[in-house]
Amino acid sequence: MRTREDSVHPGRVIREQARRGARSLDSPTAYERGHRGPAGRTTVSEAGGGDSAAVPPAGHAPQQDDDLGQTLKVAEDHRRSTRRGRTRRRMLQAGVLVVVVALWWLVTALELVPPLYLPSPGAVWEAFVRANTCYPLAEGSDRIICGEQGYYLWGHLLASLQRIGIGVGVAILLGPVVGYLLATVEWMGTAFEPYLNFLRSLPPLGYIGLLIIWFGIGDLSKNWLLFLAAFPPVVIATINGIRGIREDRIHAAQSMGANRWQVSTQVVLPSALPEVIGGIRIATGFAWTTVVAAELNAGIPGIGGLAYVSGQQLKTALTIACIIVIGLAAVALDALIKRLGGILVPWYGKA
Amino acid sequence: MTRSTRMTLAGGAAALALALAGCGAGQAEAPEPAGGDSGNASGDAGGAECPVEVDEEIDTSVRIAFQPIPNGDLVVKDLGWLEACMPNASIEWIQFASGGEVIQAFGSNSVDLGLVGSSPATKAASPPVSVDMQVIWIHDVIGEAESLVVQEGAGETLADLAGKRVAVPFASTAHYSLLAALEREGMTAQDIELINMAPDAMLAAWGRGEIDAAWVWAPTLPRLQETGTIILSAAETAEAGAPTFDLAAATTEFIEANPEFMQTWTAVQDAAVQLVQDDPEAAAESIAVELGITPDEVLPQLEGYVYLTAAEQAEQYFDGQMAQALADTADFLVTQNEIDEVAESYEGAVFSDAIRQVAGQ
Repeated sequence: MRTREDSVHPGRVIREQARRGARSLDSPTAYERGHRGPAGRTTVSEAGGGDSAAVPPAGHAPQQDDDLGQTLKVAEDHRRSTRRGRTRRRMLQAGVLVVVVALWWLVTALELVPPLYLPSPGAVWEAFVRANTCYPLAEGSDRIICGEQGYYLWGHLLASLQRIGIGVGVAILLGPVVGYLLATVEWMGTAFEPYLNFLRSLPPLGYIGLLIIWFGIGDLSKNWLLFLAAFPPVVIATINGIRGIREDRIHAAQSMGANRWQVSTQVVLPSALPEVIGGIRIATGFAWTTVVAAELNAGIPGIGGLAYVSGQQLKTALTIACIIVIGLAAVALDALIKRLGGILVPWYGKA
Repeated sequence: MTRSTRMTLAGGAAALALALAGCGAGQAEAPEPAGGDSGNASGDAGGAECPVEVDEEIDTSVRIAFQPIPNGDLVVKDLGWLEACMPNASIEWIQFASGGEVIQAFGSNSVDLGLVGSSPATKAASPPVSVDMQVIWIHDVIGEAESLVVQEGAGETLADLAGKRVAVPFASTAHYSLLAALEREGMTAQDIELINMAPDAMLAAWGRGEIDAAWVWAPTLPRLQETGTIILSAAETAEAGAPTFDLAAATTEFIEANPEFMQTWTAVQDAAVQLVQDDPEAAAESIAVELGITPDEVLPQLEGYVYLTAAEQAEQYFDGQMAQALADTADFLVTQNEIDEVAESYEGAVFSDAIRQVAGQ
């Protein structure tokens, strides 16, 4: 609505600014929250109505109160409907969960499938609890053992989180730097981008054996694998983020006398950051899908290793418990990154 | 910055710190501490008593690969005997799921000593891998523990399986036993439809009737036995001169640098075998802890293996026979394209000094 008016002659622009001033006086709450419903607009045009009326005449006060009330009501309605929409979405999501678990329970309760293939929800819950507690070896035995494979389930999860933290962490540190170089230094982009795509398409299971030979069977090879999985998405997202910046923004900054450093830090970096954070989310998700491959060999402790070993030992309830824990941990971590991204880059989706 | 955003940031930082500190916390807090007051949990050296002479001189550090196979090695690990007998040595136990992984670990110099089946051990000692390692101990001779189980109505002898689909994990000791059994029947692998399958995958294939028979071990074997019958086992192939083993091997470099460690290690393993033979209930409890099953489930599994003391091993296997067994296994692996060629000699791949010393005591 503004852009059209901006293009008109200077006089109109001044009037428009006056109007905006009037509007913010009129209905500060609604304006601050960024709600510009039709009612709000009416208020503005009426209040700032005549060509000469830059400041609203005092006589219009009751009318303004009405308008303000109207605006607040619209804002309140909007908020309430957003909240109601969110509640409805949450209920729908919860409903799906309830239906899936109920179906799962029904299939196992009717014994349509042998419990070894699909253990009941109760058995999976039991395996989950057992993996987090200490229990006697057998009934009546005074020998107490704790967790699974010598570690509690959360210990396994923590070990995997640590590996992902290191692998993805290094990718987050190096990825944007490399991405920036590839996007801004032309010969580097030409030289290395094909290899980036090459690296990205390699299946982790294919080269884990090689990494083990190079770096040993300990955590180092696992960290390397997770880093190699996480690195390309961050680099590619950075490249896309930087290449996607509208040139006129850079030109605008340059025409105002910004030097190269200022353009980089004040225009390029903030504009590319949302894409980089998107890349980090993808990289983290990819690291989770790689964690079982990383932990196939000597992966205890490790949640992926536990899922694999328990599957081999036919403890399917524990395998399912591990898979659910991996999924939940991945969702939680993604939500955390999204939230952190929202705080670090509040202009995300608005630029 | 609003309050909720600040909290999220703090939470994020805390989560990151937790993740980075994860190694220390997760591993240190794991079951070990519980051992102190409630019997001895895995690896708890505190209350363990050394069954042989304690050697405080040994201060080497060793990385030991172990596998969840019911034998004396798990007893040693669970009771913390190595830690108790060599209090000044630094001992690290690393778990592996198969012999192939252990060989990989040997190849990348990630372990010094470890448990491997006779097939993977031979593979490692033969070209092109040729890891410089030696067989130091027989944890067990495989018997009924690896058996050929057949679907109901599919046949009662190996000859009946002609043209039928038989599953086995390729390059395993079971694969070797099956081919050796076929040879004794005057059959070859071409007479049956032989397919490669991991033990955990066999179960579903068996349930759907996609395989007629499988040569496999626990925990898959008892499951298949519920609806099938065992017609052959590794015990019979062993009697016919093609034994399969779970062995211990160590790198030559480590053996030469640590003769005292090798002797104490062997003496401890010998004590574990004696415990398995004399008091299977006590041994089963330790093994159950390591396998994550109950002692009642372990006891029948113990009967599927033959456990030999140092004296028995020195007499039956470490007097030239082990090198021959490795050479026979190598012949088999060549036919399977698992190795390129048989090594000239396997004499150098057998270390019998420690076993003789312990046997002579």
